[in-house]
Amino acid sequence: MDGLDLRDRANELVLRLFMIFVDVALLAYLWFVGNCFFSVILYHTESYTLAPIWGVIPFVALGVGLWESFGKSAGMRLIGRYSMNERGEAPTLGQRLVHWVTWHGFIFGLVTAMNDARGRFPQELASGVWYREPHLYAAPKVPRRWYRTSLGLVAFATVVVTLGAAIGITEASLVTLFVNAGKTGKFWRELVSPDASLFGLGLKLLVETFFMAMIATACAVLVAAPLSFLAARNLSRGPVSRLIYTLIRVVISAMRSVDAIIWAIIFALWVGMGTFAGALALFIHSVADLIKLYSEQLESIDQGPVEAVASTGGNALQVIRYGIVPQILNPYLSFTLYRWDINVRMATIIGVVGGGGIGWRLFSYLKAWQFRQASTLMILIMILVWAIDYISSRLRARLM
Amino acid sequence: MVDKRRQRDEEGEKSPRVSRFLVRRIASFWIDWLIIGFLAYGIVYLLNYYWYTVSVDWFGTLTLPPWGWPIAVVGTLEIALLCRAFGHSFGMRVLGLMTVTGDRDRPSMKERLRYYGAMHVAIVPAGVGVWLSPRSPWHERLSGIHLIPIPRRDEWSDPPPPWYGTVWGITAFVLFAMTVTLSWHITDVSLKNLIGEADKAARIWKGLFNPNFDALVADYPAPINDSILGALVETLFMALLATIFGAVIAFPLSFLGARNVMRGTKIRMGVFWIIRGFFNVFRSIESILWAMIFAIWVGWGPYAGTLALMLHTIAALGKLYSEQAEHIDPGPVEAIYSAGGGRIQTIRHAVIPQVIPPYLAFTLYRWEINVRMATVISLVGGGGIGRLLFYFKRELDWARVGAIVIAIAVVVWVLDYVSGRVRERIV
Repeated sequence: MDGLDLRDRANELVLRLFMIFVDVALLAYLWFVGNCFFSVILYHTESYTLAPIWGVIPFVALGVGLWESFGKSAGMRLIGRYSMNERGEAPTLGQRLVHWVTWHGFIFGLVTAMNDARGRFPQELASGVWYREPHLYAAPKVPRRWYRTSLGLVAFATVVVTLGAAIGITEASLVTLFVNAGKTGKFWRELVSPDASLFGLGLKLLVETFFMAMIATACAVLVAAPLSFLAARNLSRGPVSRLIYTLIRVVISAMRSVDAIIWAIIFALWVGMGTFAGALALFIHSVADLIKLYSEQLESIDQGPVEAVASTGGNALQVIRYGIVPQILNPYLSFTLYRWDINVRMATIIGVVGGGGIGWRLFSYLKAWQFRQASTLMILIMILVWAIDYISSRLRARLM
Repeated sequence: MVDKRRQRDEEGEKSPRVSRFLVRRIASFWIDWLIIGFLAYGIVYLLNYYWYTVSVDWFGTLTLPPWGWPIAVVGTLEIALLCRAFGHSFGMRVLGLMTVTGDRDRPSMKERLRYYGAMHVAIVPAGVGVWLSPRSPWHERLSGIHLIPIPRRDEWSDPPPPWYGTVWGITAFVLFAMTVTLSWHITDVSLKNLIGEADKAARIWKGLFNPNFDALVADYPAPINDSILGALVETLFMALLATIFGAVIAFPLSFLGARNVMRGTKIRMGVFWIIRGFFNVFRSIESILWAMIFAIWVGWGPYAGTLALMLHTIAALGKLYSEQAEHIDPGPVEAIYSAGGGRIQTIRHAVIPQVIPPYLAFTLYRWEINVRMATVISLVGGGGIGRLLFYFKRELDWARVGAIVIAIAVVVWVLDYVSGRVRERIV
């Protein structure tokens, strides 16, 4: 540990800040969700500010300080630092108290948050409590049961509060589930007696849906395959290509974060409701997703063949053709099949927001409580999705 | 008995037994026939569309004269047989089969012709020729050509021909082109619409790029009774609850759906098939449709959405879990079993320790998917952020829609990133 250079000291500081951030975030979460928990339990309303909102500041500051001085906090465990004295033993209570007082100076910036050449922070120098990697200094101890550690208790409280608040917010209740079960009698009865006369129409819609997924995938591959080379970090070295790389990455991660169904809403307004809008939505989402999958594959290729082709005088195109393509062909096909599978799945529901296909018809039958007709369509969807899933996974297993 | 089997195996070296590839053989033929049939159908469709300018309702109203159908059926069959006799057809390639002579050479033209003729013997009497033969089908015995699994690459003497030089390559290309062309018509692709109607989309984009972020924290009155941020938190909790309960229920079910755990009596295998069937059926209907059913059941709101997500999560996670449980290392299982451990003890001490990290990774992955789905599930009455999105879309309030879309995208992106990093560390 002697003679840490500036970079190590900075790294240590970042680790400590991360540790404090984790603890602060955890306790702040506990405060707000705990508020919601009690407001849901006591008043049946969801409020994150049952207690005055400023209360979070003393709660977190006190909590984190005490936790990090007198126990092993979540952040400490995460970065692998435990508190111990200079000899690697557990600190005394007095040392911990001094540490707790001086810790406030560190966190509020009253004392300069700088560690010395041995990595010690001011509050550690003052108190003699060090945060160290335990395996370097102390013999491993038998871990305590979870309910005897501070982290275990906090984690338990977090889980209880989260589940309680979640149940309150989503208005989940087993009573409703069982009491209202009778309301779905019509649905289950009619689900098992599908309307056979709808079979022809259903099949037609199903094929339409299938082709929607098909063209979205096919066009997406044509766009994504070349673009993936521009989006691979290891292939974009120069400043211009690095700029293109960053640009593509940002755009596709934004495009991917917006679900295909939300894209379908936009395109349904743009080109009108129908299969074209659905196909466009699937296309946009597939392009983004495939570029990400493809380029991650490109980033993990073996450099050997690339260098071999380049060193024998191959130009850029030849390097790609003989050094890269043979390595990525199978994974690319496998990803495409995977995406095709997802697209078929999505195509069956994209109609709900105006994307056409079988989903639209199914949606209107369900809305009108015509469950016999809905049942026919649901069975057809089930068969299609199951078949595509099976084919895709079998083919992918062969490609691996 | 043993001698006979050994003798048969030795003969099998030269001419592989029928039963070994029977399913693959028949399946590959069916794939070929279906593909050729699909291509023929597509050609007729496009001919109708372009040549006769008839707008074809592509299903059922293709006008063929009565004598046309037998010709279509026999014609496609013959083309499929030709593909199989004179090259590696698509179906053969997909199922990993190829044709060789008895000496594992490339068949000559004469042999291939004989093979083509003899295939009728096997296929025309409804495939009876395939089964009647003791060792290999009749058409193979007559022509001297055998269908064998494709050997590994290093056993080949010649480099493989380029894709455009093989029957399956050309078929695949034509199939791809035909599918894209047909989809182009069936999904009514019109670039004119896409570009011509762009001004309609302009105001959406304007709204999306000028999001009204003040709208995030504002409380909206009666029909909404929530703020966007509040609805977003509600959505996250919906996904969380669905994932937690889904995982808790899927965990025990996954062992009932794992083949290696359930192997044994007929009852156990029966349970296995029921559980697997449940997973497959409930997985293939998306949660957004379940949400509509639960909306009837428990009323519109976040609870219906949560239940729908949970049901789908149970099925999806159950399948992933049980596949993982099937791929465990059998060593520890046998160790516990041979030390006298019961079934429960084996699961507890040999299976569970092996599957915990992948199960956790799958659960995180599922949580991410659930958050995505939760944002859209509310479109059909599931509560959460999607309700607000739909409301403001109906009000044509694009700035607020933009704010919501961006908020969703940010949350999904952050979760995607965090879950990806955590999964990397677990696995």
